[in-house]
Amino acid sequence: MTPLFTARDIRCAIPAPGGGEHVVFDGVSFALDAGEIVDVTGPSGSGKSSLLTAFARLNPYASETLTLDGRDAASLTPQQWRRLVAYVPQRPSLIGTTVAQAVRLPWTLAVRRDAPDAGAPPSDGAVRAMLDAMGCADVELERAPHDLSGGQAARVSLARALLSGPLVLLADEVDAGLDDDNARLVADLLARTVRDAGLAVVRIRHRAPDGRASRILRLDRGQLTDISRIDAPQHEEEAR
Amino acid sequence: MTGNAYPIDVWGLLAALLMVALAAGVSGLMRLGIGRSLLWSACRALLQLCAMGLVMGFVIHAGDPWLVVALLAVMLVAGVQITLSRAKGVPRGLAGPVLLSLAVTLLLMLTVVTGLIVRPTPWYAPQLVVPLAGMLLGNTVSALAVGLSRFFESMQERRDEIGTLLALGASPWEAAKPSVVSSIRLGLTPTTASLASAGIVTIPGMMAGQVIAGGDPLGAAKYQFVILAAIAALTLLADGLIMLCVYRTCFDAEGRLRPARTTARTAAKATA
Repeated sequence: MTPLFTARDIRCAIPAPGGGEHVVFDGVSFALDAGEIVDVTGPSGSGKSSLLTAFARLNPYASETLTLDGRDAASLTPQQWRRLVAYVPQRPSLIGTTVAQAVRLPWTLAVRRDAPDAGAPPSDGAVRAMLDAMGCADVELERAPHDLSGGQAARVSLARALLSGPLVLLADEVDAGLDDDNARLVADLLARTVRDAGLAVVRIRHRAPDGRASRILRLDRGQLTDISRIDAPQHEEEAR
Repeated sequence: MTGNAYPIDVWGLLAALLMVALAAGVSGLMRLGIGRSLLWSACRALLQLCAMGLVMGFVIHAGDPWLVVALLAVMLVAGVQITLSRAKGVPRGLAGPVLLSLAVTLLLMLTVVTGLIVRPTPWYAPQLVVPLAGMLLGNTVSALAVGLSRFFESMQERRDEIGTLLALGASPWEAAKPSVVSSIRLGLTPTTASLASAGIVTIPGMMAGQVIAGGDPLGAAKYQFVILAAIAALTLLADGLIMLCVYRTCFDAEGRLRPARTTARTAAKATA
């Protein structure tokens, strides 16, 4: 079986202020199967976000060779790619005057308007159900996004990405600002969506492993290593 | 042209300068700290205006279209330089787009206003073309400077929002559009305001000049309206053009937001 998503020879180098460059990682490879949840851990500054933005073709410092569903990245425009490989940034940004508008923003963009398979924007009921499942039952659809707490905004941002129907979801610490109960709700929902819709998820996490991930990888000093078969919890502690 | 109905002699100029000197003196007493630059700017303005007066007199007298073109070219280049020095926090390399916007709007202005509306003889009539160009450039230069500053400032403020939009599949244009809109609006605010207040609060310079020189007030009003309308339309066009040229520079070929390009200059200044 060909993997759903592959990334080869990913290199990320940031120009140093005094000239030259700082190589964050070089020659990293990664593959992801449909239905998988993979966690990426590692010390801050090790380049976890850089890795995920490179997967989404959003990282101006990175070069990468990517495939999705057996197709070369070059066969899709960056916009089409990002519709299918959705990066959810660490700092949520909700654009619009109401929560409902913010969630439906992706359908106002040309890449979805022009794609026959993009589907219609989600109904109020669909948005409501998604938010309820994330523990956001108290977030009204007519609420102004800037009234939301950090944790609520993070979940609305995740809901927007999930509803837009990607094949790969790249979640950059979306549960960082959540209490344990809500983090569990979000993890449950992700696991359910992965099972039902057959997408794949990469999560950057700092929390203790929640048993949802099929693999746990650690990015440190430019190396991406699978630590799920070693003693995962211990490594997780180190990462904190 | 009959010349000024009420000419100003050297004493008139000295009296005007004296007023500025008095104002500068008051500023010195109140420690406002702008007296020196006020006086300096007034002297500069006197010199520049008199020089322009002499040059225009020469060009009008010579009646050579090439001299008119040369004068317009000098004004264009000065316009580019002033736009770039007034726009704060913009990246380098904008001289080309600014020159393009100014040149296109100037050509349109000359085509429409002189070629279609006023139709002077000869077609290059310097006493019409040069002041028109000056009025248009004065307006577009400040609109472009304000618009460019606002655009790059807004792109900087909206970094997170732009990142999110791109991640959701937005094209560079879709991601930059709110900044483009807000900068064009801001750049055009003085122009719309001047249109709205013309004739009620203000008698614009051109109409005032014609009336003082003994012209028919209604004729002067019609002239003024044509100029104001043309300037408003062309300022919007200039701002739109510059935005089309410039927004793409914030993104790379893959449609990724370029890293803090606009901060490069500020950072260099901070370390200097």
